[in-house]
Amino acid sequence: MAAFPYYDTAAMQALNAQATALLDLFATRGYVREEPAVLQPAEIFLNRSGEEIRRRTFTLTDPSGRDLALRPDLTIPICRQAVLSGRGFPARIAYNGLVFRHQPGEPNRPTQFFQAGVELLGLQDAVAGETEILSLAVEALGVCGLKDFSLRIGDLALFGALVDALALPPQWRSRLKRHFWRAGYVESLLYWLGHGDGAAKLPGSRAQIEALLDARADAPAAGRTREEIVARALDRAAEAASLRLDGKVADAIAELLDISGPAQEALAKVRALLKTVSIDLGPQLAAMEVRLATLKSLGVDPAKVQFTAHFGRNMEYYTGFVFELWARDKEGPVQIAGGGRYDSMMEMLGAKKPVSAIGCALRTERLLAARGGI
Amino acid sequence: MAALTLAIPSKGRLKDNCDAWFASAGVAMEQTAGARGYRASFAGFSDVEVMLLSASEIASSLLAGDIHLGITGEDLLREEAPELGGRMQLLKGLGFGFADVVVAVSQYWVDVATMADLDDVCAAYAQTHRRRLRVATKYAQLTRSFFAQARITDYRIVPSAGATEGAPAAGTAEVIVDITTTGATLKDNGLKVLDDGVILKSQAQLAASLGADWNVQAKAACRRLLDKLDPANPLYTVLAAQLPS
Repeated sequence: MAAFPYYDTAAMQALNAQATALLDLFATRGYVREEPAVLQPAEIFLNRSGEEIRRRTFTLTDPSGRDLALRPDLTIPICRQAVLSGRGFPARIAYNGLVFRHQPGEPNRPTQFFQAGVELLGLQDAVAGETEILSLAVEALGVCGLKDFSLRIGDLALFGALVDALALPPQWRSRLKRHFWRAGYVESLLYWLGHGDGAAKLPGSRAQIEALLDARADAPAAGRTREEIVARALDRAAEAASLRLDGKVADAIAELLDISGPAQEALAKVRALLKTVSIDLGPQLAAMEVRLATLKSLGVDPAKVQFTAHFGRNMEYYTGFVFELWARDKEGPVQIAGGGRYDSMMEMLGAKKPVSAIGCALRTERLLAARGGI
Repeated sequence: MAALTLAIPSKGRLKDNCDAWFASAGVAMEQTAGARGYRASFAGFSDVEVMLLSASEIASSLLAGDIHLGITGEDLLREEAPELGGRMQLLKGLGFGFADVVVAVSQYWVDVATMADLDDVCAAYAQTHRRRLRVATKYAQLTRSFFAQARITDYRIVPSAGATEGAPAAGTAEVIVDITTTGATLKDNGLKVLDDGVILKSQAQLAASLGADWNVQAKAACRRLLDKLDPANPLYTVLAAQLPS
């Protein structure tokens, strides 16, 4: 694939035909098509997503000095519009359009590509929502005529629940959850918690911390209130006193994060391992069973469903169930679609109360190539 | 037409130190007469042209292959070249121009001493204030890769042209990444360096561009110059291993 793709007549016709088939399928399930602007205010991507996405976002300045961005995905602008418009929920939205990504260090990867996808916003029933989106993704490949594909699934909520079951201070829990998607990081942190050294020292009383702050009254507050700083300093002092994790538990979790394989076998291993440390993740494992049953009912060969405990995604906004659909093109395995749950997105974009969100996006050019069409 | 171009900083302490280094190697530099004197030559090296450029111009000219050799701060070279390994070769740290590129926060943040603390604060800040914490710097590339190593993602970089140390007090950023020699400027602005916040210990470097026109004459001139400047070390051999034959 070229860095700056050129779509000839045949390619355009094939892509359009495929897009029509996809959007028709989405429409039969009640997903109405919307189209955000290609050029967006840079703020919504730069402030809401981390530096990883920012690094891959094309930004520019308009003649009046305003910062703009070429949309790196459609999910964020669609969710933002759903917040701004004050629409009712649940909302089912479909899209098909170009997205733009800088590919650092990979000058031959395309800087733009088409994505077709769906967003399901504000559906209360989490399991129903996941079943709906997962089914739609699998069926989408079906209507395009791609039969040979495999799935990778995971669940950040599984890990979240596991961390919540540990006797750890809240900041350490949130740190572990936040970095779940980083390979290697969680393991090293767990090892450190189970076997390593205690945390740094800070005075433990409010009066002592306030005195420290008074002595530094000339230094800039730099965006944080005095109370914010005092509260965190107190938390940290308390943590330092209590920071320990049973070495056996830490090892078991690190081992658990290594589990990967055909979904049924992998889940059995997870269950067995959790038993040894007396941690119960019943609801999360049951949710995973429902997903596997959904896939089975769609005719997906269970041997082609891979569960990876350590599976996050390289986009930072996922919060729960995540999945990827893979196929092969001439050059080898290629990811065709990806999706999952991102329940914190709508609030990050300004929603006044929590709005659940789950969706998926298909890389339509790769889909076409995997079918032998480009 | 000179076969080889070498760029050195056009003013300041870096230039004085370069002059001293050349002198100690027995190489006499003569500023070419001319309106602005941005060119010079070495006595006995008629095939070498010396250009006097700004320190940051030297880094970008090395990267672009416009010059063969250059002397400038390692901070500027590493900021220019993160994604571009194989385009530049550092030949020798020159033992002057020492400075550290560091992550600094307000001394008022008594609860923040390490990058792990900063990670917590970044995440909490994004939650509470509904926007990312801002890091002011002119070292966007170095900052990105260092923060990535520290697994920090909840922040954004605000480009800073100058006086970065004033950003937290001015309210244009919460954290800075900047260069410091003695730490006095940071201290004057109520800032402190994080315990594990040293991104780079920088010094002046003699560096070669791998993308320049390394023809036979350029190579010969380079070998002769490097052997004279540093007879004790096989600098040219190191460079030649990286050049296309």
